[in-house]
Amino acid sequence: MRELDYDVVIVGSGAGGGAVAKELAPLAAAGKRIAVLEWGPKLAEDAYTGREVEMARQIFFDSGGVFTRDRTVTMAYGKAYGGSTVMYTGTSLTIPGEVVAGWDVPGIDYGDLQQRSAKYLDENNAHKLDESELNDNNRLFRAGCLELGYNVEQFPINVKGCRSSSLCNMGCPNGAKQGTHRVQLPVAEAAGVEVITNCRVTRVGEASCDAVVADPGFGLPSVWEPGEYRIKAGVIVVCGGAVNSSALLLRSGYGDRLPALGRYLTLHPALILVGEHPHEISNFRGHPKSFYCDEFRESERFILETCMYFPFTTAKNLIGFGAEHSELMRAFPRLQMILVLAMDPALASNRVLLDGDGEAVIDYTMGPTVLDSLHRSMVTSARIFFAAGAQRVHAPAGVSFFIDRKDAGRVEEMIPRANVVPGKISVTSAHLMGGCRMGRDASDSVADGWGRVHGARALYVADSGLFPQSSEVNPYVTVMALADRVAEHIRDHAGELLQS
Amino acid sequence: MPVMKFLSGGHAAFFMVVAETITPEVGSLDAGGRARMEAIVDAALENRDAATRKQFGTFLSVIRMAPLFRFGRSFDRLDADRRTAVLRFFQDCPVALLRKGFWGLKVLVFMGYYGQEENWSAIGYAPDFDGREGVRRA
Repeated sequence: MRELDYDVVIVGSGAGGGAVAKELAPLAAAGKRIAVLEWGPKLAEDAYTGREVEMARQIFFDSGGVFTRDRTVTMAYGKAYGGSTVMYTGTSLTIPGEVVAGWDVPGIDYGDLQQRSAKYLDENNAHKLDESELNDNNRLFRAGCLELGYNVEQFPINVKGCRSSSLCNMGCPNGAKQGTHRVQLPVAEAAGVEVITNCRVTRVGEASCDAVVADPGFGLPSVWEPGEYRIKAGVIVVCGGAVNSSALLLRSGYGDRLPALGRYLTLHPALILVGEHPHEISNFRGHPKSFYCDEFRESERFILETCMYFPFTTAKNLIGFGAEHSELMRAFPRLQMILVLAMDPALASNRVLLDGDGEAVIDYTMGPTVLDSLHRSMVTSARIFFAAGAQRVHAPAGVSFFIDRKDAGRVEEMIPRANVVPGKISVTSAHLMGGCRMGRDASDSVADGWGRVHGARALYVADSGLFPQSSEVNPYVTVMALADRVAEHIRDHAGELLQS
Repeated sequence: MPVMKFLSGGHAAFFMVVAETITPEVGSLDAGGRARMEAIVDAALENRDAATRKQFGTFLSVIRMAPLFRFGRSFDRLDADRRTAVLRFFQDCPVALLRKGFWGLKVLVFMGYYGQEENWSAIGYAPDFDGREGVRRA
């Protein structure tokens, strides 16, 4: 095992790790040694092929299909230089004030997060696309919502030079999306921060961590040779995402004194729904996600977003099989899509565990309130599709594969709650939150409002694991805002933390 | 007989039989298309642990033999309508384990077929790194 010395080690390079790296770059410029250890690879620019199965294998854990233990939800989270910012759609929202108030974390208030979020919205070039850049898939959603009197808002998107490939979730082939791989990490590296890819951290302590570098067989080679490493560090910041940060801390023995570790996981359980129009619409060209409807966020606990997915992902999210399924797939250029995000409660029983090999297991159950939300979201989405002009709608819990336009007034009875059956309908998640939640003390949480692990001198968490409850909006901006706080705390205490 | 590293010859051949019921277009694939499908599925299975792969093989055996009780024949000896009825039973099965097993099987079939770039034209999917013209034309 090779031994190395650093002042700061950052585990993970996504929204959290990338932001911390950039915010600590002045320390690197001043001579401190800072390393970012990223499990995934860095891909060459021409490796972003947009081919679904190939890209999923390279930049997602388990090709984007990590199962919950009961196999009712599949989760997609990234493993790459830039983490999940490589494969998100770049929707850039600030967390609502009432959600922050509900978190009830000492030292965290909306004003602080709002200010920090604004900094990253600016840094990442988040802006609303011009009307001329919106495709039919997005415009029809807006039209349907407005027809029904639902509140609909346009997402700010963090792109620069977007060429409307619609391939955001496979990693933008045009380098337009302003993830940490485009913005924060290059700035950090220019200041002297080292980023080591293909490097899995297996254990953390308060003054060192263990890591293994292995060649995955694709991507650019790591700057470290394959092998095992022990890295001494004055400060360690864990930013591996809700699942992997929890698993890393559990594997490192922190579960004994932090009973909340791994718990209170929330997923924003998601459905992908489709409506078929009588004519072709522009859908797989143009940015996939421009609008959202939060009309039902408080009353029925879901939000709706525009989306457009690829053939395999679309196919697996339809219920059924055989001739009807094929018929709907052949209608691909006529499909309008809506993504549902259910606002799931943070429950101690939903958690990250370790299996006998020390690997993460996600023990998560969709409770009745979540299933209610998914049901109501299907009914509402069907109404939006029809209001937008769809000739028929496919609802996973529908009594028939298609609901025809002539039955548009009967969607309540055509989509019975009893048909929302886990394990039959496809439920996915790309917003994993909690597991290392912030709070008052070790009895109810893992870290304080600065992301510092309770009882630890220099061990921090800076990712969506910190969320005490779900963000109720796409989380990356909030992750960056919290990471900004973590970095500020480290900078402000560098004198005591980084004595060498 | 298909050659897959992570599914035995018999299971691999039966998988393709079931796949034709789940996605009828699989039956029209040429040798190259079938080979690509098998390669995609094989790679997906490679990423799963040995226990999961074993469960999957067992599940295929269950689908194959279950119709004996209802129709007196194994799945591969049934006509198309009865094959569909059998799979619909698994899809809607009150036993969660069987329902989830079918979901996993279905996902592998879709991955193997729709994951092939060569099949995208059949559904009208033609991605373009520069899609701006496609948006403007709408």
